[in-house]
Amino acid sequence: MLIVDSVDAGYGHVGVLEAVSLCVQPGSIVALVGRNGAGKSTLLRVISGLIAPTKGGIRFEGLDIAGKRPHTIVNCGLLHVAEGRRIFRNQTVADNLELGLYGLTISREEYRRRLEPVYSMFPILRERRDQLAGALSGGQQQMLAIAQAVIRGPKLLMLDEPSLGLAPILVDQVFDAIVSLRRSGVAILLVEQMVERALEISDYCYVLQSGRMTADGAARDMARSDALRTAYMGDHDSGSN
Amino acid sequence: MDPDILVRGLTAGSLYALVAVSFNILYRPTNVFNFAQGELVMLGAMLFAAGKSTVGLPWPLALLATLAAVGTLGLAEEFIAVAPILARSKTGTGWVITTLAISLIVSNLVGWIWGPDPILVKPPAPLSLDTFEFAGLRLNSYVIALAALTIALVALIERAYRTLQGKAVLAVAEDREAALLRGINPARLSRWSFFLGGAFAGLTGILAAPILYASTSMGPALLLKGFAAAAVGSIGNNRGALIAGYLIGITEAVGASLLSPGYQEAVVFLVVLTVLLMRPQGLFGLATTRTV
Ligand SMILES: Nc1ncnc2c1ncn2[C@@H]1O[C@H](COP(=O)(O)OP(=O)(O)OP(=O)(O)O)[C@@H](O)[C@H]1O
Ligand SMILES: [Mg+2]
Repeated sequence: MLIVDSVDAGYGHVGVLEAVSLCVQPGSIVALVGRNGAGKSTLLRVISGLIAPTKGGIRFEGLDIAGKRPHTIVNCGLLHVAEGRRIFRNQTVADNLELGLYGLTISREEYRRRLEPVYSMFPILRERRDQLAGALSGGQQQMLAIAQAVIRGPKLLMLDEPSLGLAPILVDQVFDAIVSLRRSGVAILLVEQMVERALEISDYCYVLQSGRMTADGAARDMARSDALRTAYMGDHDSGSN
Repeated sequence: MDPDILVRGLTAGSLYALVAVSFNILYRPTNVFNFAQGELVMLGAMLFAAGKSTVGLPWPLALLATLAAVGTLGLAEEFIAVAPILARSKTGTGWVITTLAISLIVSNLVGWIWGPDPILVKPPAPLSLDTFEFAGLRLNSYVIALAALTIALVALIERAYRTLQGKAVLAVAEDREAALLRGINPARLSRWSFFLGGAFAGLTGILAAPILYASTSMGPALLLKGFAAAAVGSIGNNRGALIAGYLIGITEAVGASLLSPGYQEAVVFLVVLTVLLMRPQGLFGLATTRTV
């Protein structure tokens, strides 16, 4: 459903991605892994339209979305939960969720109907719906960020390091949420530092290294592959571990 | 003490508060200060005066025509002077020059069309500028209505930020990129804000006209003190702008009565500077930015 075809992109004149290709099948979880600074977030930003690719093509469900503006891409059903819990802290939890539906014409009833599954996925959000989002704990903010995207009913959800900085129990909740989303038919492109856990729930895996895709394969095989190890150790470092 | 001190303080204060709020309307989704705002206020006063006296429109029609015209000019300004700058860089400051340029163009055009003579605009009946005595203070019905309307307008604007579009504006102000990822189109909100902010400036001009007369010289003074009110009340904070507007208006009136009227500006800016040196973010504060 998502096809990224030899994309180049960067910031200003600084190139980051070089001839990057990637493919996400409907209903699957695809892990995108690689070291800090490899360009994972940059790739997600290109797909969601925050930066335009300088070369290459991006198709989502047959539509050419390369260089389209973010709100257009969101309206195609491709949602991006950015790194670092980018919620609106000065607004309430409920307002944040309402903003997740921005631009859709939805009745009050439909709005309430859509809130239900989101609240049952993350019950704490229902409890704290009238509080400012900035008052939530880090983990709750991450849940809100995911909920904001989920309430829109995405076809493909891109999550950038959803477990970053969370307590283990919250990490479990976030991973459970990802699995249950996939079960309901949402495809997921997952960027994660917790590589082993990500591979456990993924179908397929891509390894990004210094802006290039250096390996890809079924998640099961990748967990044992050398490609993954070298990607994390760096090219010149072949020490133990 | 000058018995007209309350009238002057409330009148000026209301106008400064309104200009400050119109600054905020534009600032929130764009992070741009429209330095043409003072001239938009002036244009509102002139158009209304012309519509009423020259064309002979009944005042509600003159009012609507003025709001539509000044709002449209605000929108045009966004297209010409702001959107192209922001398209190049979200953090660029080229708009300082381009909005000042619009300000000069409007000022010169209006001066060329209407000349420098102030036009007298009467308040709509039954309001008047005739003073009456109340508890030892002199007041008039127009200034009371003006202050009440100012407060009502601020309340209305604040309510507007409770609608979904308003929440989207606040979202853009807080984290533009996150807003983009939620399907919000800041460019569209920016256009709407310039239209509404322009219309609001036009309305301010209409309200100012009976007191200041409609003339080309009203722009710069209102721009400067409206901006001061916005800064003292914390940029983006409309309730802060309201309070700061009256603070400045009353300081000015008191300064004029204690010292000579020639010093009132000095007193005002001394107070403004002191406040901003002690609290650069203004008196009230509004967390609109965040660092990751
Ligand atoms: N806004 C920016 N402007 C300029 N360069 C940037 C910007 N953001 C990232 N970069 C650079 O692009 C490269 C890739 O960064 P990116 O954030 O995509 O990596 P990442 O794989 O997501 O890393 P992490 O695991 O730390 O999140 C890095 O070298 C980084 O310094
Ligand atoms: Mg990243």
